[in-house]
Amino acid sequence: MNSESNAKISLLIVDDSRVSRMMIRAFALDKHPDWQITEAASGDEAIKLVEQQHFDYCTMDINMPGTLGIVAAEQILEKFPAMRIAIFSANIQESLRSRAAELGANFVAKPVTEKSVGQAIAFFKGETV
Amino acid sequence: MDNLTALHIDALSEVFNIGAGRAAASLSEIVSEEVKLSVPALEFRKCAEFNEKVLSLDQSQLGVVRQQFSGALNAEASLLFTEDSALEIMRDMMGSHISIEELAEFEQEAMCELGNIILNACLSAMSDMLNIQMESSLPSYTVCNAEQLIQDIIDTPDQEYIMILHIDLEIERRQVNGKLIFLFSSSSLSTLRIRIDAFLNNI
Repeated sequence: MNSESNAKISLLIVDDSRVSRMMIRAFALDKHPDWQITEAASGDEAIKLVEQQHFDYCTMDINMPGTLGIVAAEQILEKFPAMRIAIFSANIQESLRSRAAELGANFVAKPVTEKSVGQAIAFFKGETV
Repeated sequence: MDNLTALHIDALSEVFNIGAGRAAASLSEIVSEEVKLSVPALEFRKCAEFNEKVLSLDQSQLGVVRQQFSGALNAEASLLFTEDSALEIMRDMMGSHISIEELAEFEQEAMCELGNIILNACLSAMSDMLNIQMESSLPSYTVCNAEQLIQDIIDTPDQEYIMILHIDLEIERRQVNGKLIFLFSSSSLSTLRIRIDAFLNNI
C-alpha cells in the first residue's frame, strides 16, 4: 500500500484468451501506467514464470487448457504466499467462489471490464472490495 | 473462414466462455451440484461443408433444442445433446421425486427449459459484450438422428454459415457432451464481424 521502494509493481496476467489479456492489460495500464506487465496463456506457463521472476500481483483465468487456473493459483500461493491473486473467471459457480476465498484469492466475475479490473486492483492494493 | 481473423474468433470464444459460465451457474443451482465445464472450442464453416465429422458427436440419435434469434442479427440456434445425456440432465433437473412415466411426459418441457437457459446465457453474453441486441422465439425440442439434422442444416435457405461451439459439461460425474450451433446468413455474419471489430477497437 505504501510505496516504500522504487521497484515497479509487476502484474502477471494469465488467460488463454488473447483478447482477455489485452483488455486486462489495457485497463490496468490505464490506472497504473507504470506497472510492469507479463502475460501467460496457461496455468502451466504461469507456474514456470513465477519461478523465474518476482510478481506482486496476478490475474488468473480458471477455464484454460492444461492446469486449471484455480489449481495453478493454489500451487503458486503455496510457494509465494505474499502474491495477491485475483481469480478472473467466466465460471461463476458458488463452489469456485468459495474455493478462491479459501485460497485467500479474490474472485472476480468476467467479463473483463473497467469495473471488474478495478475490483481486482482494489484487492491487490488492499483496499476494501 | 474467409473474413474472420484469429483475433475475431478469440474474442467470440471468450464471449461464449462467459455465456457458458453463466449457463453453468444456473444449471448448478438447478441440480445443486457443481457443473464442470470444458474450455469451449469454436469453429466456423460454410453450411455446405457441414457433416458428421465436423459435428463430432458419437451418437446418431440427438436431442435438439432450437430457437430463432432476430434483431441486430438473425440466427438460428440449436443446442444438441446425445439423447442419453439429455435424459440424464433432465433426471438431475427434476430430482428423484418423479416417476419414469412422468419423466417422459415432462421431457419436452424440461429440455426446452434447459435449452432456454443455455442459449439465453450465451445470448446475454453476446448482447452485453458485443452490443448485439436480439429477441428470441420460444424454444422447441425434437429428437432426431444426426444425418437428418445435418441435411436440414445444409438445406436451410439463406443461412450460408455455421458456427459450432463444442462444449462438455460434467454434472455429478456424468459426462454430457453438447454442441451449440448457430446458423447465419452472410449479411448477419458481416454484422457480427463489424460488432467484434467495434469491441476490439475499444480495448
